[in-house]
Amino acid sequence: MTLKKFKKEKTVKDMPIGTKIFTYLCLIWALTVSLVPLIWLVLSSLKKDPMARPGFQLPDSICIDGYISTFRDLHVLRYFGNSLFVAGMSVLISVVMISMSAYVVARMEFRGKALVNILLYSTMFIPATALTYPVYNLINNLHLYDTRAALILIYSCSGIAVSFFVIKNYYNNIPRELEEAARIDGCGYFQTWLMVIFPIARPGIMTAAVLAFLNNWNEYYWASLVLITREKLTVPALLSTFTTSFNTNYNGLFSAMVVIILPPVVLYCIFSKFFVEALSGGAVKG
Amino acid sequence: MVNRPKKKKSKLGMRRTGFIIAFLAPTLFVFCVFYLYPIITVFVTSFCKWDYTNITSPEFFGWNDLWNNYNYIFNKYPFFWEALKNSTKWAIVGAVVQIPIATLIALALSRKVKGIKFVRIVYIIPNMISTAAMGVIFLQLYNPSYGIINPIIRLFNKDFSDSILLLKGPAFVAMTCAYIFFTGTTTLMILGNIMAVPEEIREAAMLDGASGLKQDLHITIPMIKGTLKTVSVLAATSGFLLYNEVYFLTKGAAGTYSISYVIRELAITSPRTQFGRANAVAMIQILAGMVIILVVSFVYSLSYKKEKH
Repeated sequence: MTLKKFKKEKTVKDMPIGTKIFTYLCLIWALTVSLVPLIWLVLSSLKKDPMARPGFQLPDSICIDGYISTFRDLHVLRYFGNSLFVAGMSVLISVVMISMSAYVVARMEFRGKALVNILLYSTMFIPATALTYPVYNLINNLHLYDTRAALILIYSCSGIAVSFFVIKNYYNNIPRELEEAARIDGCGYFQTWLMVIFPIARPGIMTAAVLAFLNNWNEYYWASLVLITREKLTVPALLSTFTTSFNTNYNGLFSAMVVIILPPVVLYCIFSKFFVEALSGGAVKG
Repeated sequence: MVNRPKKKKSKLGMRRTGFIIAFLAPTLFVFCVFYLYPIITVFVTSFCKWDYTNITSPEFFGWNDLWNNYNYIFNKYPFFWEALKNSTKWAIVGAVVQIPIATLIALALSRKVKGIKFVRIVYIIPNMISTAAMGVIFLQLYNPSYGIINPIIRLFNKDFSDSILLLKGPAFVAMTCAYIFFTGTTTLMILGNIMAVPEEIREAAMLDGASGLKQDLHITIPMIKGTLKTVSVLAATSGFLLYNEVYFLTKGAAGTYSISYVIRELAITSPRTQFGRANAVAMIQILAGMVIILVVSFVYSLSYKKEKH
């Protein structure tokens, strides 16, 4: 314990002065870049007329009319509900599907295994936008245009590569003895997976699920492509109506923006430890 | 598992095969429906006359006019070269500007300084917000009458009152600045790798007199090259595919078309949709993705060689 503490102090003190200055410059830059736009946004949302007091001037009186109308007139909660439904359902489908196939590829030998690996790996480099029209056409042929089901289908199918590799890597770390013990106890293949492996692999699967959920929650391209009816829009798709519908009501626009970016930011702040670990591959404990 | 006795194998083997097929089937089905079939469609129909006049029945051009769509895209379509040039620039900026920024900040975040955990958490926040929302926020920041960019420009040029998003040149720079500095997720991936460098190596380097930046340059960075290569490919690819920023900031005005924007315009949003031609552009986009991977791998393999000598 004491040794560790001593070591820590040593590294800080031992830093050459140039490095120290450089480090602090980087940190200041990081804070500036990430906070300035958001602070400006919140400040502007509290001004009755952002036009009259532009930039970083403090508001002369705090005005929350915009926030009230965001909930009352814009029905922002409805769009949160849509996003939650679409992102949640598609994560559920894709994670179950991928944790099954990743298990087979990670743990069993069969002909064509290398091919399956390559095929799934290649999806990482196929740009979704290149497939715009065929997928759009497919949705139309299935009579799913302008339904939330279409979006769930697209999200469940896209981004399989990332989930596949995150989950597969986790399976690889589980000792094989566990499986063998379960088999000796008389478990079938499916039972072994469901009762033994799946519960152990839960952290890896959760990581994949969280990353996929965030991606789906923020996805704009497909959402704006397949949804038309205003009531069905997800939060990012709603944003494209902002540039015209708020015309001169800047206070309303800024307030709505603050409300819209709040859920992911709050969620992130609560679970930041988990996110930092997930994104850094577990090496950085947040 | 490999040395199982042969007698039991027939029955067990059947079960095993059944299990493997059942567990792989959903993923492979999705792959075929969502990737394989669309890619084949894109490839085939890029050689077909297929537009708003014959929506249901694409028509093969014949071998003599095989390259009709590509010809049109290269020679007649007014925005293709602009889009390709922009997308290429964004791809290069991704690998050459974004990755060094991400690495520098990751190095800074790897040091034991007071408040470092706070900065780590805050730096990721912009990446948790959708790029669509960031696009709208930057549209406001760049607004000439109440944004914060124009007052800054006015410090140097008193009469400046234009919107920078409508000026050719500055619009491109402004759009790039709207996303390039938010490297949170990339930084975290690099940081994870830096933290995984064994402590003993760092201590050994310290004993040899390499500390601080010197140590980073000669010890840490060579050790995380694999990750740097991966994130470079990802950054370059996502730069090449830029769409949301274009849509929200300029809608392609002032010379800011991107390849993705062109595809969507040709295939969906234009009143005279041209699916065949959109798919020709899509083919070019897929090819460009491969070129990016090859170029990045080549550059990194060069730097490996240099080290050996």
